[in-house]
Amino acid sequence: MIGRASMSPATLPTLLLLSGAVLQLAFGRFLPKIAKGWMAFLLGLASFIAALVMVPAVAGGTVIESAWFTWDAGIQMAYRIDGLAMLFTLMATGIGTAILLYSIGYMAHESEGTTRFYTLMLVFIAGLVNLVCSANLLMAYLSWEVIGLCSYFLVGFWYRQRAAVDGARKVLIMTHLAGYGLLIGIVLLYVRTGTFIWSDPSLGPAFTTGIAVLMLVAAMAKSVMFPLHTWIPEAMNAPTPVSALLHSACYVKAGVYLVARMYSLAPWNHALGGPMLVIGCLTMIVGALFALVQTDLKRLLAFSTISQLGHIVTLLSLGTNLAIAAALFYTVNHGLFKGTLFLCAGAVQQATGTRDMRQMGGLSSRMPATTRVWLIAAASIVGVPLTNGFVAKWLLFNSALEAGQIAVVMVALVVSILTAFYMLKATSSVFYGNIPDGLRNAKIKEAPLSMRSGMAALGVLCLVFGIAPQLLMQTVVGPAVRSLGFEWNAPVSWLGLLTGTADPHVTVGAIIVLAALLLGFIIYRITRPRIRKTVMVFTGGDQPQADHGVGAADFSEMAGAAFKPLYRVNPDPAYIALWRGVRGTGVALQRAMAPALERHPLVAAGLLALATLVVVWVV
Amino acid sequence: MDMILVGFFGVVFLAVALYSIRVRQGGWRWWALAAIVTLLVVGSRLSESAWPRLLLLEASAFAAAGLVWVTGAPAASRAARLYLWLLIPAVGCSLAGFALAGGGAAPPIFPIARIAAGLLIVGFGLKLALVPFYVWLPEVAEHAPPMTSALIISVVDIAAFAELVQLRVASPWIFTDYGIVWMVIALASMFGGALLALAQKDIKRMLAFSTIDDMGYLLLGVVAGGAVGLSGAWLGALSHSLFKVILFGAVGVAEKGMGKPVTLSTHGLAARYPVAAAAFIAGALGIIGVPPGFGFVGRWRLYLAGAQHGGVLLVVAMAVATGLALLYFVRAIHAVWLGPADIGEPIAPRYRLASVVLIVLVLIAVLLGLFPGVFTWLNASLAAMAG
Repeated sequence: MIGRASMSPATLPTLLLLSGAVLQLAFGRFLPKIAKGWMAFLLGLASFIAALVMVPAVAGGTVIESAWFTWDAGIQMAYRIDGLAMLFTLMATGIGTAILLYSIGYMAHESEGTTRFYTLMLVFIAGLVNLVCSANLLMAYLSWEVIGLCSYFLVGFWYRQRAAVDGARKVLIMTHLAGYGLLIGIVLLYVRTGTFIWSDPSLGPAFTTGIAVLMLVAAMAKSVMFPLHTWIPEAMNAPTPVSALLHSACYVKAGVYLVARMYSLAPWNHALGGPMLVIGCLTMIVGALFALVQTDLKRLLAFSTISQLGHIVTLLSLGTNLAIAAALFYTVNHGLFKGTLFLCAGAVQQATGTRDMRQMGGLSSRMPATTRVWLIAAASIVGVPLTNGFVAKWLLFNSALEAGQIAVVMVALVVSILTAFYMLKATSSVFYGNIPDGLRNAKIKEAPLSMRSGMAALGVLCLVFGIAPQLLMQTVVGPAVRSLGFEWNAPVSWLGLLTGTADPHVTVGAIIVLAALLLGFIIYRITRPRIRKTVMVFTGGDQPQADHGVGAADFSEMAGAAFKPLYRVNPDPAYIALWRGVRGTGVALQRAMAPALERHPLVAAGLLALATLVVVWVV
Repeated sequence: MDMILVGFFGVVFLAVALYSIRVRQGGWRWWALAAIVTLLVVGSRLSESAWPRLLLLEASAFAAAGLVWVTGAPAASRAARLYLWLLIPAVGCSLAGFALAGGGAAPPIFPIARIAAGLLIVGFGLKLALVPFYVWLPEVAEHAPPMTSALIISVVDIAAFAELVQLRVASPWIFTDYGIVWMVIALASMFGGALLALAQKDIKRMLAFSTIDDMGYLLLGVVAGGAVGLSGAWLGALSHSLFKVILFGAVGVAEKGMGKPVTLSTHGLAARYPVAAAAFIAGALGIIGVPPGFGFVGRWRLYLAGAQHGGVLLVVAMAVATGLALLYFVRAIHAVWLGPADIGEPIAPRYRLASVVLIVLVLIAVLLGLFPGVFTWLNASLAAMAG
């Protein structure tokens, strides 16, 4: 069923966000920082509500179409909102709004650039909405690059700092260059079919493996797939709301959208699915391994994003009904828990002035609210039941088992253990143990209300979708799966239990796990020690002295020693060699040309002209 | 299309003039020659007959050489002499080529057609500074005031390019029968320009090589021909014109403020010249076709023309060349503008009017990128007005 509308509610989320950006530019000079923040948040919220309004129609199977304006001769800026577009629109506007709320408090300390910040944030979110809603592939590419530019400018927000601008440069170079794959793919599709409309049936036969590979290269760079993942840890010198938006909703997820959308064009063949499965699994492992050795909190989370995106792409590559549903559920929920983790990390950084976990500890006593939210999100990413992360992982294992991909199950299992390790390391290093000497006398206080509210909003959703995932499954994920041509009726119940196709042993297993958890909780309640100001960390033997707990450095050194050979798997030296080769060629060319052309220009020009005339004569 | 081009040149001249009020480029002779250059080009585009159009165009190039000369600096005079010496064969070859080609759709008899094509290739190669005839442009760009270079590239060169587009329509055989030669020159300009730009230390010199690089793209659109190729080349030329004024303008502000050329050894200029820095970044990314700048409007058409004309290999080659362009521009952005500033640099004077000009030009470039349909509308309106 297709619903058509001109300048309809379909365009409202984007319009609201863009109008917010225009207002920021127009009045930013006159408004205080807090007012700019509230304005951005309220327009983000309005945009989210405008997106929510469309959910019932899209969940009912309606595809909302809307024409904006003629962008260029014969090319319409038009929207086509199906289930997949709806899912990403909700994610971008919803998580984006929470991050904007958080930004009010976070940016209140910033001395300059807040107009630039809020403008770019709003355009960033609008860019993703425009990307996923565009009916036209060329317009989608335009949005693809707009979000690329926004990320470049936002990562380099503190443009006087070398580390920030170096990170921004890496983001731009790696993602924009790979983005030409998407553009070439779109151009080749147009040459073969004469249309840029992705829902046009003629696109299917023209969508060859070669074109798919070109588009996948663009998607891989955006979604930090190995070996194009190395830009994301360097992008951590940005304001935390930027990192949160980049990782959770509006940047890495653009690549996921493209990979998923390719199912709308044509079914994947095995030549594509197999290699992507391998890349997905490798990305999972590489991200988790590198996260283990980080001592910088945001870098740890960045590597964790790489690993988590590996999970999502692996699921998309499996290509079964359940796997696609799991991938899309994972996408939204990764946005929620990763957004929360970054926002908490930002609050910690702002309170302590550092991201180095070796210089932190015991913050649970000073920042109890942040700690609680962090714990929810950390439990979620690890996959603890009652959280959305558990449901996502549960569906992942089910999908892999259903597809007969035991290797994927094993990899995911190992990566889950590693994830638990590095999250435990981060949690214990930052929030538990003793407050280090350097921070003992510092005025560490809880984040302001707007920051806590932003974090809490996402954290609460981690629990809501962990307990009742069917809320998301039936209204958002199910329609998105069906919009890609898969048959799936969202047979998911409380806590992620599959009520449809799953074998009985899966449900029995879930019940055993839940019973074990309940038993554990009861034992804990009965035997728990009285509340202490700091939490002791079990180290495997006698308790060490108070100032000799296991910290981030111990974990990192242990992991570094255990997996030493694997840390050589770093593609950056290859990129550096490539750059040196290109630049060296330029310098060599200059040296070769200079003597003739610059010292004797007239003779050289005369000879070249003569040579050209001879060539034309001979041709 | 000529009316749009004339309007565009008017905007460029206005921008250059307003900018030059605060960031001085030269004395009254510079102003007079700048006006003469623009008037000659505008007169050329308004002429309906071929010969007056060509003669006015060639005259504008000689006036542009004078514009470089009046600066008075020895290095600028040397660059002007070189430009002038190469203009003579360029103009001679172009005019002789036009005369021999006859301006018809069918080629003249052998061997006149070959001689005409050869002369036109050499003539346009020299005028547009295509590889391997580019030698004058980096010299002029390095030693002339920034707005002189901007006028030469954005007005004189683009008018010469418009003439090439006209030739493609009037006498297609020059491009179809000798397509391989044009194509080799286009690819050599794209890759040669980009690689040589990577080797530069002086930013204005690098900008000259970026023009050489971009001219290769535009030429490729002309060679490919058809509605897509020609409209891509035409729109690409307009965007190149606009962005080059922005880029030279941004460098000019910093250069004037520091009193020395901007090179890769200059760091952190964004802290002192934030508007110029933002304009340079917008210009750099816009000129290579990063959306939503105006450059993308021409660039996607050129990719499409490349794919239609030369298949996957050609379009991939184009993307690789654009990638190289991104590398040299990003290198300049991050070496010169962003990052911590050099210690000991004097406090920057404010060139408010020049900053306003740069901001307006960037806004125009973004708006044209977001709403390029305005050209369709403008073209239809002008056609209707012309009856």
